[in-house]
Amino acid sequence: MSMLQEEVSTTLYFDRTFDCNAAKISPGEYYYTDQDMVIVTVLGSCVSACIRDSVTGIGGMNHFMLPDSAAADKDSPVSESMRYGTYAMEVLINQLLRNGARRENLEAKIFGGGNVLKSFTTMNVGDRNAIFVRKFLKEERIRVISEDLLDIYPRKVYYFPKTGRVLVKKLKNMHNDTLVQREEAYASKLKVADVGGEIDLF
Amino acid sequence: MANLNTKFLVVDDFSTMRRIVRNLLKELGYTNVDEAEDGAVGLSKLKGGGFEFVVSDWNMPNMDGLTMLQQIRADPELKHLPVLMVTAEAKKENIIAAAQAGANGYVVKPFTAATLDEKLSKIFEKLEKAGA
Repeated sequence: MSMLQEEVSTTLYFDRTFDCNAAKISPGEYYYTDQDMVIVTVLGSCVSACIRDSVTGIGGMNHFMLPDSAAADKDSPVSESMRYGTYAMEVLINQLLRNGARRENLEAKIFGGGNVLKSFTTMNVGDRNAIFVRKFLKEERIRVISEDLLDIYPRKVYYFPKTGRVLVKKLKNMHNDTLVQREEAYASKLKVADVGGEIDLF
Repeated sequence: MANLNTKFLVVDDFSTMRRIVRNLLKELGYTNVDEAEDGAVGLSKLKGGGFEFVVSDWNMPNMDGLTMLQQIRADPELKHLPVLMVTAEAKKENIIAAAQAGANGYVVKPFTAATLDEKLSKIFEKLEKAGA
């Protein structure tokens, strides 16, 4: 059985603009750090939660979308998309907690969910992603201190976990369709892969 | 056949995940479900008695799922309780540690209702055989 696991980004580089180390994350990846660095991503209809411990400054970012579950299943709290989204959020938060963050200190900034994938004819994927991440954080009682969601533009997001600072650039002119292709590839990967894992050892 | 009145304790620090597991159990016909938000609360509820099955996350504040499992196995009153680990930890060493600590099953998130059902049935089957 194929398993779709969220992976830690391994794309690290030195960012000349900000004069610090940077990690770039792609759909399905996340990154966390306690260092003074920047985490960068480009979002179309996907969403990113930037979450940090406001006291220690350890923080991270994820980047995901909900799989397009069967219509009948969509609003069910146990649907594949709810399970996958919850998992994508949990993986990041678990890493922060394991590395010393405290749940009561967590604060979040959330971005993305733009209506950029024109090929999705059903309910706008961006809307679903945005609604999910808001609702999840509310239910888990994690403070959202700012958000920039929905609309029709892709966004480039720079997150500095140490300070919590975020820079968002709305990309009003796209020079090519790399972003859309990448998201469509991710969406179809979510569709094909079994969103569920099992291990038989016992 | 598993008894649908089996009393479950679902232990997870994410209320969203507790609700998902609770709803999946409900879909499978199990409605007698209580929840705990970490291993410490879970263990004290178990010590209160009446539970017949534990579904637990691994990574939790206060007391993690593995420690709770070890404490369950060390407690003469609780040591026979079936424990299914449902966790985002997919590393081999995690799975081995859980097996060594005496977990009855291990499911990696994000999981499906079918997977959960299959694991539960397998555990019930084994328990029945052991009890027969």
